[in-house]
Amino acid sequence: MDWASILYLGVTFGLFAVFALIVVRTYNKKSKDRNESAKYRMLDDD
Amino acid sequence: MEKPSYNTDIVRSFVTWSLVWGLVAVLVGVIVSLQMVNPDLNFGPYLTFGRLRPIHTNAGIYGWGVGTIFATFLFMVQRLCKQPLWSDKLAKFQLWFFNATIIASAVTLLLGYTTSKEYHEMEWPIDVMVVILWVAFAINIIMTIIKRKDEQMYISLWYMMAALIGVAILYLVNAAAVPASLFKSYSAYAGTNDANVHWWFGHNAVAMALTAPPLAMFYYFLPKSTGVPIYSHRLSIIAFWSLIFMYLWTGAHHLLWTPVPDWIQTLAMAFSVMLIAPSWGSVINGYLSMNGQWHQMKENYLVKFLILGITFYGLQTLQGPMQSIRSFSAFIHYTDWVPAHIHMGTMGWVSMISFASIYFLAPRIYGREIYSIPLANLHFWLALIGQLIWSISLWVAGVLQAGMWNAMNDDGSLTYTFMETMVEMYPYWWARVIGGAIYFAGILIFVYNLYMTVRKKETIPSTTAEGRA
Amino acid sequence: MLEKKPVLFMILATLAILVGTAVTMVLPFVWVNTAADRIEGVTPYTPLQQEGRDIYIREGCNNCHTQTVRPLVAEVLRYGDYSKSGEFVYDRPFLWGSKRTGPDLARLGGKYPDAWHYKHMKSPRSMVPKTNMPDYPWLNDNPLDPDVIRNKMETLGFPYDDEQIADLTGKTEMDAMVAYLQKLGSDIPWRKAAETTIVGDLTNPFPGDAAAISAGQAIYASNCAACHGDNREGMIGPELTDMGMEDAELYQVLHNGIPDGGMPGFSNLGSTKVWQLVNFLNSGQ
Repeated sequence: MDWASILYLGVTFGLFAVFALIVVRTYNKKSKDRNESAKYRMLDDD
Repeated sequence: MEKPSYNTDIVRSFVTWSLVWGLVAVLVGVIVSLQMVNPDLNFGPYLTFGRLRPIHTNAGIYGWGVGTIFATFLFMVQRLCKQPLWSDKLAKFQLWFFNATIIASAVTLLLGYTTSKEYHEMEWPIDVMVVILWVAFAINIIMTIIKRKDEQMYISLWYMMAALIGVAILYLVNAAAVPASLFKSYSAYAGTNDANVHWWFGHNAVAMALTAPPLAMFYYFLPKSTGVPIYSHRLSIIAFWSLIFMYLWTGAHHLLWTPVPDWIQTLAMAFSVMLIAPSWGSVINGYLSMNGQWHQMKENYLVKFLILGITFYGLQTLQGPMQSIRSFSAFIHYTDWVPAHIHMGTMGWVSMISFASIYFLAPRIYGREIYSIPLANLHFWLALIGQLIWSISLWVAGVLQAGMWNAMNDDGSLTYTFMETMVEMYPYWWARVIGGAIYFAGILIFVYNLYMTVRKKETIPSTTAEGRA
Repeated sequence: MLEKKPVLFMILATLAILVGTAVTMVLPFVWVNTAADRIEGVTPYTPLQQEGRDIYIREGCNNCHTQTVRPLVAEVLRYGDYSKSGEFVYDRPFLWGSKRTGPDLARLGGKYPDAWHYKHMKSPRSMVPKTNMPDYPWLNDNPLDPDVIRNKMETLGFPYDDEQIADLTGKTEMDAMVAYLQKLGSDIPWRKAAETTIVGDLTNPFPGDAAAISAGQAIYASNCAACHGDNREGMIGPELTDMGMEDAELYQVLHNGIPDGGMPGFSNLGSTKVWQLVNFLNSGQ
């Protein structure tokens, strides 16, 4: 494999890792209430 | 808790002016569609297709689209942050500067002062005005958000902020030019570079002005209309980051098979297909929010507009990636298929959501219930039917013409001359006139309905109290 | 937590936007319009051509006409050699367009004589009856302003001399437009390269065939009459009533055109149609 392919593969996996991190962080059980709270609060009467 | 005193005046003014420019945009659209079937309707030098078409597109995007963004963002930000607007004076300035900018654009474009860059035709002095306008708007929204109490921001705010940043970056970079005189400038980039920069702008203007803001509206006005929260705030977050990250890679799908380097085209193609995921993340989130609420499709006209809107967004984000594939683009690009695609997005998705938002705002900004729900339903059906006639007839036209362009005889020569393929388009172009006229009729009813609402005598005490009218 | 901090959130959102931007929009500047895609023979526009280009922009021609030929078989057959990056280095802005309501114009230069363009720009339907292109007669009425054009050339940094500027006096916007259209795509010798040689004997496959003659008449009406007149009496092109050319010789002319004489080649009609045309023209009707 040449350097370009390795770089390409690295960037692909890197991006996937960032995506996985965002998913894990967002769907973390501990923060479920915090992450979903906004959708209830926006329904407050105004 | 005491309700903060929200600025409703400014929302009402922006609704009014976005409607004015929306009417202009659709009316000019119908006029240029007639010019397509009858060249005698071109009255040179000012009223030719070449000068009027940019007025149609720019009135649509910057007048109707951005005008509605201003109205709804200023409404949403105050309520989502439970804060009054940061600066009422700045908002007032924004309103009048907005109208000045749109009028200046229309006049200069008619006079032939144009950069020719699609959806960015305005010459450099107008560019300066647009930048001032956007900065004034962005400061007001961002300062209102910063002022709010420290709590989790709702997804609509996310999309709003992304739109503020995105439009600013895109517009500034693509506007770079060297002026030769007051109304003539030359792009800072040449040839292939200019094409690549421009479609990076062009496609992402769709993302940042015609996707992120309607999504912000959808995520706000759907739960507000149904009374139940969206299905998943977390899903909306994942979709958000994926969407704003991936969109920026896809501009070159407008330039497949052109001299733009191949690898950029390939990246654009790949990311366009991947964009299906975050786009449909929002679509599915919308549909699942309707769990147990589907009966509202019958009972609540707002829901009908919103769900049809998000459905067209879903279709749009499947058709778009399909067109971004090299082989399909080779066949269909440059035909009427593409305007049909764009109009499903603008007439079916962005405008449907905007109509719903304005219907939702009406009682809250005018202090009166909507004048007639049957008329709103009629508007819905005219908008839907008009748009379907428009798009479907031109999809057929596009496939037909593409087929004729590519048809070859046994000896390897072309079967049809260009004119032989063009004359086949006339019946479909007539169908477009009819579709556009029906859509325009729908908008006239919409405006009439709102006008009669404002004129109504009885007011709703609870909502008038909230404004500072 | 970024969901609570708008400033931090906006910084992250900006970064997300800038990644794709950097790779697909900024990075290409390293290669595009450098020595790598430079093409010998591509020259900047003359003052007259540049003014024509600015009029093309002013009238919004790019709303209906593209200026890029894609490397696809049907497209190269219809318009000519596919477009190369190096051909556009002097184009500010680019004018590739996005819709072909009318045909692509990237290879228009040299296809027709000037007289064709003057007549067509003034009244497109006098040449192409069913077209929906608007008339542009007023371009004939607008004189050029040499000082304005000199200033434009300075802004663009294009070479010009005083003689070229002096020549602009008395010229109209129509002259500029036609000069620009004739420059389009003609910087590279693609027409010469694309010329096909006919190998072997040329034998008329339908000598005297009435069906072929009437088919040829229809082809004449839609492809030739605009220049040679409805009754072959001659207008922009010469009279064709009594040419005295052998079938094979006439076939060659129709197939390849006469580039220096302003006659376009019609090889893309295919051999059958060209032979039908030959039979019509030589039928004595």
